[in-house]
Amino acid sequence: MGHKKGQFVIIAVLMIAIMIISIGAVMNRAVTYYKHEPWEEYLTLIGSVELGSRRLVELSLANYTNAITPDSNILKANLQKWQINLTRVYAGYGISINYTVANRLYNVYGTSINYVLGLNYTWQKPSSFSAANATFALDVNSIGLKGYKFTSAAFLNLRILNVTADTNEITVAVKKEDQVPVTALGKDNFQVEGLDILKVTSRYDQQYLVVYKIKCAGVLTPPVTVKLWDTRGIQVTAKYP
Amino acid sequence: MTMKNRNKGQIRVLETILASFIIMVALTFVNIFATTPSSPKYEATELQKVAYNVLHDLDEQGLLPRFVYKGEWENLRAALRVTLPSDVYFNMTVYDLHNTRLDDATIFYGDSQMFSMSKNIASIAYGLVGSATKIGAAYQAIYEPRIVILQLTRG
Repeated sequence: MGHKKGQFVIIAVLMIAIMIISIGAVMNRAVTYYKHEPWEEYLTLIGSVELGSRRLVELSLANYTNAITPDSNILKANLQKWQINLTRVYAGYGISINYTVANRLYNVYGTSINYVLGLNYTWQKPSSFSAANATFALDVNSIGLKGYKFTSAAFLNLRILNVTADTNEITVAVKKEDQVPVTALGKDNFQVEGLDILKVTSRYDQQYLVVYKIKCAGVLTPPVTVKLWDTRGIQVTAKYP
Repeated sequence: MTMKNRNKGQIRVLETILASFIIMVALTFVNIFATTPSSPKYEATELQKVAYNVLHDLDEQGLLPRFVYKGEWENLRAALRVTLPSDVYFNMTVYDLHNTRLDDATIFYGDSQMFSMSKNIASIAYGLVGSATKIGAAYQAIYEPRIVILQLTRG
């Protein structure tokens, strides 16, 4: 009888070994499955498509605001081309994108923007702006992603705060999307109608965070018209008063 | 009686040794098939992630469109060298939508043989939509897509 005790121990140990192998196999499968799916790669891919779409909206707005005869269909035309070209650029992922352009009155950043085919600009005012807006729905069939929605908006606001005739200086504030102040603008980014610009300096402001002081060569006589191009090439023209 | 008890003890020792041996075999067996997160199996995926991140960051800063559309290939090469880890070799090519190669074949770092011999090469495509070029005071913004192909491998 005593001899049989040993067999039980062997059986118990064998069972423990089988359990270890089973748990090991399940753990291995769980770990490798998670790692096998390159989630972060998918995220970066989606991020790249999002960024590309945003760049397209900005580019279309730059085209619209710089054209002598603005083409109000430019955003839609570019989006149509991007829709076709995107499948070629990211071949193998099964990417497709659908879009809708903003086409009504929106209240954005405290400004009423009446989009027509996703574009709008209101210039020749002390606070002028250029804006574009499109909403996308992205499908990536290779990862089973369907209808991932995101909105790409481009916005540039130029506000003439003050014109000091004594010193020939114009104080302006420049903001982009989400009311973020635009920094690092220089002499090349501004144009004052009828006058040369001597220098452009920026300083901190409690209300606008960053304001620019445009020093002109010559006498400033109101009304003053200031043109601005940001680094994306988007133009806006403001007039004071 | 004493002899019998002594034999029993020996059997117990043998059983313990055998049991330990079985557990050791089981653990070794599991360990052979375990794939750790740092496994070379995932190297290509990791490199793809790195490649997308690098291009995304350069694009976000506005550097990638500038280098590509202005043909600043040497600056692009320098930017990639600074951004990528030093043991990562890269080979970048830029095409237009008609598959015409636009770069001057200098956006390259590392041993060229690595790209033909290495098992773990990550290759990704990245799209650029166009650029706004300054002409006088104003800008000319044209839709002109470029396909950037970046290959990465570890040296």
